Amino acid sequence: MAEPEYIVESECETTEEEKSSSASSEVVIGIDIGTSQCSVAVWNGSEVELLKNTRNQPLIRFDVLVDNDIPLGEVNYHLSPYDVFSLGEVNYHLSHKHERLSGASILNMKRLIGRVDTDRVVHASKNFPFLVQTLDMGVRPFIAALVNNVWKSTTPEEVLALYLAELRIMAESKLKRPIKDVVLCIPVSFSRFQLTQIERACTIAGLHVLRLMPEPVAVALLYAQQQQHMLRDNTGRVSKRIALVFNMGAGYCDVAVADIDGGVTEIKALSGSEIGGEDFLQNMMRHLLPSFDKLDIKSMGLLRVAIQEAIHELSFQESVQIDVDLGNGSRLCKEVKREEFEEVNKYIFCESEILTVQCMHDADVDVEDLTDVIVVGGCSCIPKIRNFVENLCEREIYKGMNPLTAAVYGTALEGALTSGIDDPLGDVDLLTSQVTTLGIGIRANRSEFVPVIPRNTTMPVHKEMIFTTVKDNQTEALIVVYEGEPEMEDENHLLGYFKITGIPPASKGVPEIIVGMDTNASNELSVSARVIIPGSRQPAVPVMELKMPTVDDGHSCCAEVLTRAYGPTLDSMIVRMKNHSI
Amino acid sequence: MYKTKKLCAPLSTIFRGVLPTRRRLSPYFSNSQIPSLSSHLQSSSRVPPRYALHFLPNSNFSFQNLCSQSAAKLDSSTKRCWNCVADKTGTTPFLYCDSCRSIQPVDLSIDYFQIFGLEKKYEIEVDSLEGKYKDWQKKLHPDLVHSKSEKERGYAAEQSARVIDAYRTLSKPLSRAIYILRLEGVDVDEEQTVSDPELLTEIMEIREAVEEAPDSQALNQIQSKMEEKLEESSNSFVNAYQSRNFDEAVACIQRMTYYQRASEEILKKL
Repeated sequence: MAEPEYIVESECETTEEEKSSSASSEVVIGIDIGTSQCSVAVWNGSEVELLKNTRNQPLIRFDVLVDNDIPLGEVNYHLSPYDVFSLGEVNYHLSHKHERLSGASILNMKRLIGRVDTDRVVHASKNFPFLVQTLDMGVRPFIAALVNNVWKSTTPEEVLALYLAELRIMAESKLKRPIKDVVLCIPVSFSRFQLTQIERACTIAGLHVLRLMPEPVAVALLYAQQQQHMLRDNTGRVSKRIALVFNMGAGYCDVAVADIDGGVTEIKALSGSEIGGEDFLQNMMRHLLPSFDKLDIKSMGLLRVAIQEAIHELSFQESVQIDVDLGNGSRLCKEVKREEFEEVNKYIFCESEILTVQCMHDADVDVEDLTDVIVVGGCSCIPKIRNFVENLCEREIYKGMNPLTAAVYGTALEGALTSGIDDPLGDVDLLTSQVTTLGIGIRANRSEFVPVIPRNTTMPVHKEMIFTTVKDNQTEALIVVYEGEPEMEDENHLLGYFKITGIPPASKGVPEIIVGMDTNASNELSVSARVIIPGSRQPAVPVMELKMPTVDDGHSCCAEVLTRAYGPTLDSMIVRMKNHSI
Repeated sequence: MYKTKKLCAPLSTIFRGVLPTRRRLSPYFSNSQIPSLSSHLQSSSRVPPRYALHFLPNSNFSFQNLCSQSAAKLDSSTKRCWNCVADKTGTTPFLYCDSCRSIQPVDLSIDYFQIFGLEKKYEIEVDSLEGKYKDWQKKLHPDLVHSKSEKERGYAAEQSARVIDAYRTLSKPLSRAIYILRLEGVDVDEEQTVSDPELLTEIMEIREAVEEAPDSQALNQIQSKMEEKLEESSNSFVNAYQSRNFDEAVACIQRMTYYQRASEEILKKL
């Protein structure tokens, strides 16, 4: 009689075991989704291999052509203008340029994903060669592509999902096996809400996210592997290294300070902001043609390409001649000097410098402590950037890596590490411990943001903080969870909220509401709350624990609605820090 | 082969029911928020051993850490690996089994000093912590047990988070001082209102000096003075702690808290 019972249970067990064992033997790919270009790489057992698309390009332009056949369209691997000239395939370029810039293609999705229409970055995206409309009310912006002369609405997540599905198919055909698990790198400044959107896009594309890794962390991991490899060849003794990684791509700028010792890469601090090549481009467009906002989509696209090329050339020469026919009889013909470019974008250089200084400060590291300084990303060839990093860190930039593929190499390594690869040679005897990129806390003391897990805390982490009631006999308390920094209340992101009910009647300040926050090594967050009346050891109400974020799109809108609905009474429902005097 | 599976299955199924897979730690791991723990105890710095209780290995304080604790309880008497049943060997704290390389459940009787193989003393070589910390991470980090059982992954998360907290707590003088007192059953409230008139006057003076500082050089001077003061109170803490004068030790911590904050404030201004 007992036999069948065992069998039933063992079946469950088998599936469980199979899951975990098959997960470990599966190939994990690393993807770097850039604002303008993407790449895919994989650890092949002895080294990282970059996967190339059908045109044999390792860097794949991130444009999605929306058309009528399939629900949303198909992904096209376009050449970037730079590649075109270096490869001499001008014809190919011209034939697709029209498509790219006619409004039918969606590009720069990484800048728009998970943002609401009050966001500065969304507003700055209105001159993209497709439709971006905002109503400034804290909801998802209206994004559409032109299909047969009709605007077809889409969302950044859908576009990203399509693109990722395409990358997966490409990787599967190259590796000749199904691909499921993936490590992606993301900008430091991404909110948890944006990370959820990326995860969703992956799910739609049939991919399972093992880890979302901040870009400079991926670069630091590659550096650690290089150092380990190099030193093993020489003496075998790996000495402690501290590296500063500066990464600036088309959409985001990130900085990390990493401490590498004995195969453990410990991220000391991270900082990041949404500034990048796209800002250089827009500032130059505005500088050269102040009325560029009024251009139609096609002319805007032509202008965009011409100026992008000019900026690129300015990295290698002092001045460049721009001569572009914008259609409708208008023409832009101007000479641009490098100093002009630097002057127009002064504040961006300044801001990236601040990020670097801040990161070193947060890491408690001085210039003398640094072993190497690494500059990567699409903007890493801009002389002004190289100069300021070299001056600030008082040393030459590390030469050992390709600035465009460093991040994707790092993700492939992390993919191998987290899936427990077979590594007989000990080539990847590495471990990375990551830190939280933003503080996480709750609203307390009326409208203050009280961080429970501060920024730059090593994960995994579990922290608790005790709060209490603000009114006598308060039976309900609202726990409103935010992500961000205490100083910038307006920019903090609402992650979710939940109510604790049934608090036993007591004088204000007596019940202890213990809010716990927990992020695991994969940066998944859960928040819990339990209530204890001093003197009793048992929780007074059942413990609430939930995964965050819980709120969906339009989160800033959601925060407003919350305040509007509960505004007058929220004060009496909110908690305050125990022993905080108000 | 199938048979072994059959036999093992029910046991681990039961385990899964008993051991929640949530990666939870007991409350006092969350070290950075110590101040809030003792809010209701403003009159005296000596605390009835309510929180101190948690340090005893077998106290069933909250049902949340029960899982880890009950598992620890099984092991703490014998110090036996849950996986290969090998007895613990050597003097290293038993966070990890050297014979089968499996991570052990959190044992709350092992304090932060023991984790780093240190004597329970305020004065420690901070530089020696980092190497040991990294050695632990290379054994305990959740990334390393990706393919292992859910149970062990849970242990990895708990142990790793605890070692991180231990490292952070011990590397800073102030948090180390607070922690060592807590091991003695004394809970310190950093936020407690300053009542010492001497310190109050000093605070006022420093605040004025910072506000009126004409340039960064002047600020730098105040800053290095704060560092000096911090060092001084840290030394008096050592004496107070050694002579087990805990009220004095708490007063030292209060001064250290203040000087450190002042120093941080100035750094922000610079």
